[in-house]
Amino acid sequence: MPFAVPHSPAGIGLRAPHYREILETRPAAGFLEIHSENFFCAGGAPLAWLERFRAAYPMSFHGVGLSLGSVDALEDGHLEKLAQLVRRFEPQLVSEHLCWSHAGGRHSNDLLPLPYTEEALAHVAARVGAVQERLGRRILVENVSSYHAFAHSTIPEWEFVAEVARRSGCGLLLDVNNIWVSSRNHKFDPQRYLDAIDPATVGEIHLAGYEESEGLLIDTHSRPVSDAVWALHAETLSRMGPRPTLIEWDADIPSLDVLLGEARKADAIAARTRALEPAA
Amino acid sequence: MSTLARTQREFVAALYSEAPCEPGIEAYRRNMLANLGNALGATYPVVKRLVGDAFFNEAARRYVRAEPSRSGDLNEYGGGFASFLAAYPYARELEYLPDVARLEWACHESYHAAGAVPFDAAALAAVAPESYEGLRFVLHPALRLVASPHAVVEIWEANQPQRDGTPSRTEGPDHAVVSRAGELVHVRLASPVEWKFLSALARGATLGEAAQALGEAHAQAFLAAGLARLVGEGAIAGFELASRA
Repeated sequence: MPFAVPHSPAGIGLRAPHYREILETRPAAGFLEIHSENFFCAGGAPLAWLERFRAAYPMSFHGVGLSLGSVDALEDGHLEKLAQLVRRFEPQLVSEHLCWSHAGGRHSNDLLPLPYTEEALAHVAARVGAVQERLGRRILVENVSSYHAFAHSTIPEWEFVAEVARRSGCGLLLDVNNIWVSSRNHKFDPQRYLDAIDPATVGEIHLAGYEESEGLLIDTHSRPVSDAVWALHAETLSRMGPRPTLIEWDADIPSLDVLLGEARKADAIAARTRALEPAA
Repeated sequence: MSTLARTQREFVAALYSEAPCEPGIEAYRRNMLANLGNALGATYPVVKRLVGDAFFNEAARRYVRAEPSRSGDLNEYGGGFASFLAAYPYARELEYLPDVARLEWACHESYHAAGAVPFDAAALAAVAPESYEGLRFVLHPALRLVASPHAVVEIWEANQPQRDGTPSRTEGPDHAVVSRAGELVHVRLASPVEWKFLSALARGATLGEAAQALGEAHAQAFLAAGLARLVGEGAIAGFELASRA
């Protein structure tokens, strides 16, 4: 078993408005996922909260700012803070995004798309390798949603993602909502995406809600998971079996009950998938 | 420069620019401005309340273009906002605004700063009185000091969520001590003498040097009770004995 978090119940993104209620009520959640950078501080309340959650749940540390795909040198201070956090809390999962965020020292603090070229592939696969070496562990790398496609891309996104895992040895955090959002924005068949992914590399699945703005789907994490994404998630599990699954909700954060309701829907899909699996 | 490097340079330049761009890049530009603007709003809630959402969002948008983010950790963004506001022509009438921002950044830093082990009173009791002058008190890592000619502490308090925004006093100057007890950040007024003493310690002064900075009369009056209070509230977290060399 490469990943020591349960396939169900599903996990939830851990956000400050729910801190107290989660600790007081200890709802069923397979794991809690934080954004690593929110705990880069030297001390104080964030780390005190994290200690409490770590004692109660399996944890997943999900980075949003390492910028694996940047040509700028890896930021040593950022990586060192991540390494310290991982050493101290020993989370079950550590993940980053297959994207870039800064150039020439200017950060966007957003998950920007790579051009899918051989040059970018070689660069980002080497960077994933360097990060895994520094952390002393395998990481999961997440496919991002995108609103812009580079005209000079030469490799389909799904092949690029699969090849990063093959070359670097990392696992994949398959964001099914991101596949759906990008498939609509760039007019591709999401089934082709799933075809390209080796199930053995997938260590976690993300689900979230999107919004539509000016003809583009935007990965806002501000809504319930859409029906189309639930269907694509069921299709994903039918291909690879249950995987640790997380509901992300980062803007217009709902009550904990609503968030957990989404997690229960994911559990139901996982249960149906297991029922369909041939007996071992 | 490689193709990838050039692509990334041009993309980030487009995000920080105001020139028209295609809808996909526009979506990223909006995201970036929203992310950085939200980070500023979370760090500067009192400034935001004082000027209103629309004014704040426009100031934030201009600040982002003037001072790009330099870190993948959003908590590090916005340290220059007070200086930006001081030079922002549309905020000129709110003379106290930059200092309120300074106080909020101090709170932000305090919230995220390292903790400290409890003060070792027994070790201090073992120091011989003739060595007192050479004591170098260590301030708690979460302690911050802010001074302003304006009533910033009262303005800050009046604009906390449970208050209606009306300050009960408008005259400064204010000397603020920002500290953290456990996980909670506190802001309180200090006397000018206490603030001067803490500022001296923050610069690394020995007790003798700090007392000298206060002047003998002030030093005697303050140190009698003030030092114990600072240790008691955790503002002073430890001490070193300066070598006589």
